[in-house]
Amino acid sequence: MKQTIQLISKKDLLTFVNALINEGTYDVVGVKARRERFGFDTLNNAGELRLDHDVTIIPPKKYFLPQYEPLMKYSLEKPFQVQGIKDEKPRIIIGMHPYDIIALEQTDLFYLDSQQDTFYKKRRENTIIIGADIQKISERSFAASMKTNVTTTGFDILLTKIGTNYAVTIGSEKGAKLLQKYATTKNATAADIKKIKDTRDNVAKKYKRKVKLDKKDWPASLADNYNHALWEERSDVCMECSSCTMVCPTCYCYDVRDESALNLKDGQRIRTWDGCMLKDFTRIGSGEIFRENVKERYRHRFYRKGNYLPQRYGFVACVGCGRCGIACLPDIADPCDVFNELASFGKSDDTARYFIKKQSEVADKGEIHVPRSATIKRIQKMTDTETLYEIELDDKKPLGHKPGQFIELSIFGIGEAPLGVSSPPSKSPSFELVVRQVGNVTSKLSVMNVGDKVGIRGPFGNGFDVQMLNGKNILFTSGGLGLVPMRSLIKYVLDPQNRKKYKNIIILYGATRPNKVMFLDEIEEWKKIDNVECQLTVDKCDEGQCWTGCIGLITTLFPKINMKKFDAKNTIVVVIGPPVMYKFVIKCLQTMGIPDENIVVSLERRMKCGVGKCGHCQINGIYTCKEGPVFIYKDIENLPEAFE
Amino acid sequence: MKQKPRVAVFDFADCEGCELEIADLEEELLDLIDIVDIVSFRELMKEHADAYDIAIIEGSIMRPMDEQRLVRIRSKAKILVALGTCAAIGGVNKIRNQWMPDDVMREVYGDADLKGNELFNVFRTKALNEVVPVDYYIHGCPIDRDDFKRVITALALGKKPEIIRYPVCVECKKNENVCQFELGRFCLGPITRAGCKAICPTHNSPCDGCRGLVKKAEADCVKEVLERYKLTYEDIRRRCTMYNYGREECHVDEEE
Amino acid sequence: MSMKKNDVSIHVDHVTRVEGHGNIVLNVKNGRIEQLQWQVVEAPRFFEAMLRGQHYNELRQITSRICGICSIGHSLASLKATEDALVVKITEQTSILRRLAIHAENMQSHILHIGYLAAPDLFGVGSVIPLVGTKHTGTVLTIVRLHRLANAMSDLLCGRTVHPIRLVVGGFSVVPTEMELVNLRKQLEESKVLTQQLAEVIHGVADRLPDFTRGTEYIGLSSEDEYALYDGVITSTDTGKHLAYRNYKEIMQEYIVPHSTAKFVKHARESYMVGALARFNINADKLHPAAKEVARMFGLRPVNCNPFMNTIAQLVEFTHSLDDSIYWIDRLLERGIKEEKPVKASVKAGRGVGIVEVPRGILVHEYTLNSKGYCTKANCIIPTNQNHANIQHDMEKLVPEILGKSEKEIELVLEMLVRAYDPCISCSTHYLDVTFR
Repeated sequence: MKQTIQLISKKDLLTFVNALINEGTYDVVGVKARRERFGFDTLNNAGELRLDHDVTIIPPKKYFLPQYEPLMKYSLEKPFQVQGIKDEKPRIIIGMHPYDIIALEQTDLFYLDSQQDTFYKKRRENTIIIGADIQKISERSFAASMKTNVTTTGFDILLTKIGTNYAVTIGSEKGAKLLQKYATTKNATAADIKKIKDTRDNVAKKYKRKVKLDKKDWPASLADNYNHALWEERSDVCMECSSCTMVCPTCYCYDVRDESALNLKDGQRIRTWDGCMLKDFTRIGSGEIFRENVKERYRHRFYRKGNYLPQRYGFVACVGCGRCGIACLPDIADPCDVFNELASFGKSDDTARYFIKKQSEVADKGEIHVPRSATIKRIQKMTDTETLYEIELDDKKPLGHKPGQFIELSIFGIGEAPLGVSSPPSKSPSFELVVRQVGNVTSKLSVMNVGDKVGIRGPFGNGFDVQMLNGKNILFTSGGLGLVPMRSLIKYVLDPQNRKKYKNIIILYGATRPNKVMFLDEIEEWKKIDNVECQLTVDKCDEGQCWTGCIGLITTLFPKINMKKFDAKNTIVVVIGPPVMYKFVIKCLQTMGIPDENIVVSLERRMKCGVGKCGHCQINGIYTCKEGPVFIYKDIENLPEAFE
Repeated sequence: MKQKPRVAVFDFADCEGCELEIADLEEELLDLIDIVDIVSFRELMKEHADAYDIAIIEGSIMRPMDEQRLVRIRSKAKILVALGTCAAIGGVNKIRNQWMPDDVMREVYGDADLKGNELFNVFRTKALNEVVPVDYYIHGCPIDRDDFKRVITALALGKKPEIIRYPVCVECKKNENVCQFELGRFCLGPITRAGCKAICPTHNSPCDGCRGLVKKAEADCVKEVLERYKLTYEDIRRRCTMYNYGREECHVDEEE
Repeated sequence: MSMKKNDVSIHVDHVTRVEGHGNIVLNVKNGRIEQLQWQVVEAPRFFEAMLRGQHYNELRQITSRICGICSIGHSLASLKATEDALVVKITEQTSILRRLAIHAENMQSHILHIGYLAAPDLFGVGSVIPLVGTKHTGTVLTIVRLHRLANAMSDLLCGRTVHPIRLVVGGFSVVPTEMELVNLRKQLEESKVLTQQLAEVIHGVADRLPDFTRGTEYIGLSSEDEYALYDGVITSTDTGKHLAYRNYKEIMQEYIVPHSTAKFVKHARESYMVGALARFNINADKLHPAAKEVARMFGLRPVNCNPFMNTIAQLVEFTHSLDDSIYWIDRLLERGIKEEKPVKASVKAGRGVGIVEVPRGILVHEYTLNSKGYCTKANCIIPTNQNHANIQHDMEKLVPEILGKSEKEIELVLEMLVRAYDPCISCSTHYLDVTFR
């Protein structure tokens, strides 16, 4: 909409703000003094407002993604009753600088994608933003060279101090209405409008800190310097405190926890800020940690801002506010310093690494946080550590999953665990999970009974692209627990309705010991199907155990494959197993002549939200829960973090 | 109806501040006694039972007679929880470990003939895990009540409480505190375990590391920050050893 | 336990419902007391040893850890000693806030003692827990509410009740806002009626307090202007005021006892008592009216020599602290509360003594600082130390008077005696009088 510009005197501005405060229906927050610094806080009267501030300690993201936010209430006495959280009062934020407004617009693309976060959405819709042009520059800010010191969008009203008055730029219908109702303004003259430009230009000239590398060149510069020594040198003195991510306006990774009251009856599932700089950020149930070295985490932050997100959305996710420069005690976090150093390293044309081509957007399935109620229908012990559960959704609808997708299983009070679905897609409302006891949720599950309730979110993930299997031979290679998600695809492929679409099929399965082999009875049935061959092996056979199959690592099964039946170009190989397995298996497959685009893998990371928002499952620039967990090897062979 | 876990609270050389924090649960204390059976809590109750599932222990170990008592408790309890910094890592009780026990005893009691008196037979302060295996730790001097509730509800629900390894800075920034370094003070928050909601910096006082350091005070990153603030390790040594004296000597922490 | 009526054998290992570890040992054969000991078995922690070499800015943090219940009191005594050594004069606002902090601690500690530690004996139960669910539930909830309020007050003033944060050399790191003080005042006002109710309930069972007296010297602070807690002059009911506070050792004389890791103390007699009863005996005329009324209700008049009445004196002090807190909050609101930076100290060598009244009695911290501000010598005299000898002597007079009772009853009365003192045993075993080479 065309922006009109008004003029308001300082006195009338204060009256306007007081009117908003006294009006009563809004929570009016603005920039206030906070000891020696500044911060957004509830305004008691307009006199507290400090539009002359340089930068707030933490950005206004706290009003859209709070530091601690209850997502839902639960009752341990009544699983599975979930209560929503009461809506907050609508809010007016006064004093947001352009760089924070731009950061918020970036965050919108992230949180309001096809899998919208309804909490964020509601707050966004209920918030009126009264921005303010920068008057005083923070000593660490380099916003001018990032072109984020001014903005023309993202606000309902924008205030610019010109002389003793304020220019009021109207940015939306909401802003116009607010002014009309509560403010005394007059039209700005041409001279006033020129003063706005002059003020902005004058402020822009005063920026002492400048980044020499234009941000459009950041992705390329990073692409060429992944293994440069500077990452290790700079991160050598990193305190791993994640202060940089906490104060950053474009950081929004979060953790979700269940907090139960002492009476063991009530509880809340809350979400709180998390930081990729923390060592335990990527820890999974088995205790494994990815990006364990601080150098990897330090580098990841710059690549996310400067290479991954630009490739995904088209903008650099740094707005030059300088907060991380202030917050970092050993002073290594400032992107201005990092990119000035990188500027001296020269450019490159290669920008296609560390990211894979964008998948089609996942369809909106509505609510992403609240689990649906489900009941345990059947429990079958498979081995001493693995158990099969048949789960039925209480609304009796089918899960609607594709092979290779996963769900998040909720046990209120304990937490959530990502589990691959083991049964093929079906019209029946029940599906199967095979669970190994590793952490709190899976341990709790192991003492639950048929009839007990759990929560299910999902299905999540991209699943297998079954179209690519049409007319091909399929070689399934599963190690250990890899058979669990593999089984959903195997049973889909072997279903009489589908079988004719594919040619020859081999199923290779390796377990550590005979007593760890699962689904023996099903495998026997599979062997009976036309042109289906099954080969099993165990790493070792201990004394007292009975085993008639092969003994050795799974790679020992490959020589047994008749390559005439399985011409390499027309065979798709699906590989799922423990991380250590991939390296060896893929080498074997390549020796057999299988092209990289015919190899399909499924990777495990810390999947928490399942919808590509919490940030924990990142492998370089991809979200394992959105672009994965199933990948074509060719797409990720250059992804440095994929097979660490 | 599943039997409530039986909980016994014991204390050794301490100030009882952590036990007071439990008493300060106020009305929630009634919730607590609903979910567990407190069979022994000398500070608040006369009743005492010798059979318990969970032993919660505050205080450090100073004498052989204390060591024996602790070993007895460990043998009876299925789960042993170290309550507070003195129990978890030694705390202020360990400051005197810089000097030999004889030296200190002579200074304090002079020539009094106290040989053979087991009350006075003091050795270097030990944290609980230097005598017996400890299952869970509730850090802090004193403990944070919410942290206590978190661990107790986890145990009551049959799950392992999360071990926090990240530093106080995370919680301090979430509170939007002005950084103590910006006020000219050296704060131990960046190398101290979080879980206290950064209470000291929130009240404008630098962190002294009472919940245990998660990084060595002599680490390179600390040196870097010291240099930037024109300080040496000696300037912060005393504060780093206020609660964390001799950490290398202890059994390695639970997460390693 | 023996069968003959004239033989008594009592060994209470680690008396319950007191802070710290103490044993009561009584052996009577043929009506003759062979052994009667109040044994302090708490592990010594050597605080004075810890203080040597510490900077004056860190002394408070460490001494606070002497005791969890009177950590505010230790902090204030420590700060007063440091400020005395460095000649730092605090502002009036600081001294008012510190008075409020002491009131908060007094209230918190007294109500804990009256409600959780002492009252169960008067109700004939082992702890407050069995009282929940009976007709006394209301009383338990009242105790809990008052305790919670006192904690909220110290949380507000000091940042945290156990081991305060805001108390620093020269003042406060943060002061409460006007809104917070107004809110606090309102809650204090609303608690007056609860306090009255509690007094009436305790009055209903007060007849279970043993009727026992023994001529005793009482020592505490006194002042011309107020019921002395934060500031005052050392005063004895035997010998009057002692103005030279730095020569406190003339009054508080310590000696080692082998069955106690805590030293015992004496002055004009072989022992003396400190605490609420002592303060009452010295300062009763300065109490606020409501507190005087509570004293009258229980027939408590100075000089009362029944140690069991210490608990009642605490109830009187609680009532007084409630009113005095409201008084001082009003003064602060009148003056207008301001963000004040703590008064800076210029570092020099010096010796300082800080004396305050904490819930259990008069507390002394003494520090000697060198020219760089590091502590070279420290001494602390803890209230409970000063009471240990008195407990011993009280027992020696009391036991013959109650030998006719059953063993169980004797044991209970002796435990009640120890509890009446509200001892803080771990404080008292920190250790004293260290000379440094």
